[in-house]
Amino acid sequence: MIELNKITKKFTLHNQGKTNILVFNNLNLKINPGEIVALTGPSGVGKSSILKMIYGNYVFQSGQIKVNDHDIDHTYPRNIIELRKNIIGYVSQFLRVIPRVPTIEIVMEPLLEINSDQDEVREKAEKILLKLNIDKNLWNLSPLTFSGGEQQRVNVARGLIRNYPCLLLDEPTASLDSVNKDIVLNLINEKKDSGSSIIGIFHDEYSRKYLNAREIDITKISDAK
Amino acid sequence: MQPILSVHNLNKYYGNQVGCKNMNLTLYPGEVVGVVGESGSGKTTFINSISGNLIPDSGKILIETGNETIDFLEISESLKRLLIRTELAFVHQNPRDGLRLDVSAGGNISERLMSIGQRNYGNIRQTIFKWLDKVEIDKSRVDDFPRTFSGGMLQRLQIAKNLVTSPKIIFMDEPTGGLDVSVQAKILDLLRKLVRELNLSVVIVSHDLAVIRLLADKIIVMKNGEAVESGLCDQVLDDPQHSYTQLLVSSVLQV
Repeated sequence: MIELNKITKKFTLHNQGKTNILVFNNLNLKINPGEIVALTGPSGVGKSSILKMIYGNYVFQSGQIKVNDHDIDHTYPRNIIELRKNIIGYVSQFLRVIPRVPTIEIVMEPLLEINSDQDEVREKAEKILLKLNIDKNLWNLSPLTFSGGEQQRVNVARGLIRNYPCLLLDEPTASLDSVNKDIVLNLINEKKDSGSSIIGIFHDEYSRKYLNAREIDITKISDAK
Repeated sequence: MQPILSVHNLNKYYGNQVGCKNMNLTLYPGEVVGVVGESGSGKTTFINSISGNLIPDSGKILIETGNETIDFLEISESLKRLLIRTELAFVHQNPRDGLRLDVSAGGNISERLMSIGQRNYGNIRQTIFKWLDKVEIDKSRVDDFPRTFSGGMLQRLQIAKNLVTSPKIIFMDEPTGGLDVSVQAKILDLLRKLVRELNLSVVIVSHDLAVIRLLADKIIVMKNGEAVESGLCDQVLDDPQHSYTQLLVSSVLQV
């Protein structure tokens, strides 16, 4: 369960004339277990900001965010680190990894946080990479040289190898062909059916319908102009 | 869970000049804290003051060993030296500062082992090989002098030399500074793996925000000897609140 109560979010740009940008004033949102919420609206209205506030990347000025009844509280970074280990998964749009680390190890990493059995974790990583049509020959290469679609699938594999109770998805299918898109969407549906609370940004109508997502138009609740 | 290291209101002056002041830090087991800031901001003074290289003017440093809490600035000199050889480790920017260049690679790695009383040659030799393997230095180089090593190899040797006694807290001052980018990537990968495998707790100083983003859980941003902002690493870098941090983050060149 993900809950946002009365959230105010603004950016203060100190070095650009102390410009204040108000993004949200009194934002309320609730995502139940087994539910997918899709945020819609033009770019710049704050769709990604919502995901980043839930994941703890962005601070908020007032209000409360809870994931499975745990507060996202920036005065205790340690707690947010623990929540990311156990409760919140995040598939970002872009792959950010250490150069030269093989794909298979990047996918294994989140699972190694909770399971030290290398062989078992490797097996699971291989399984999800196969499912996502990442060629076996690529597994021992760094994904930094892969195509956009391949990089995105590695990112998805890394984010979905575990079963997080709360899942944040930032355009996980943006640069995929239709076959691979369906594969990723099916994986997301599996997570939903297993009871995850899922919130995401999906650029196309097709994905939102496929996932049977509850759509929320951010322009109606955002104060960003 | 108890923090393994906590620093409270630490001050270090050079005469009237501020080295670092009012510094605080909490480090939990398995956690990496990055210290960033431009040169002259007091990063190195801070890490030296909390690792026993410099004596701070005031403040408190508490180290949790599992059995007891040690007040690092109040203990005897001999106990402090023992701690520095066993529970703590320091990786210098320049590996030549942390290695003995006229002693073989194996000899460098065995130094800390022998200082804690290991005498069995066979066991020591085995541990040396295990660590050379961990830091990806070929076993055949064990008896070579470090001066015949490349910069990247020297840094990996320094890491092995420091980690061989399984210290609980590792201090690193720009461990990838001065290395070319491909070597830097390899060291970063190695450090990440070791942190997870050995549940290391690390304080790392770097002016390179990309390095800190990849390694650190938490971050302290320093300016003129003081912490201007601290918190969760990617939050401070993605949504900086202080004007100096905003300037720092927006000054990074995009590749």
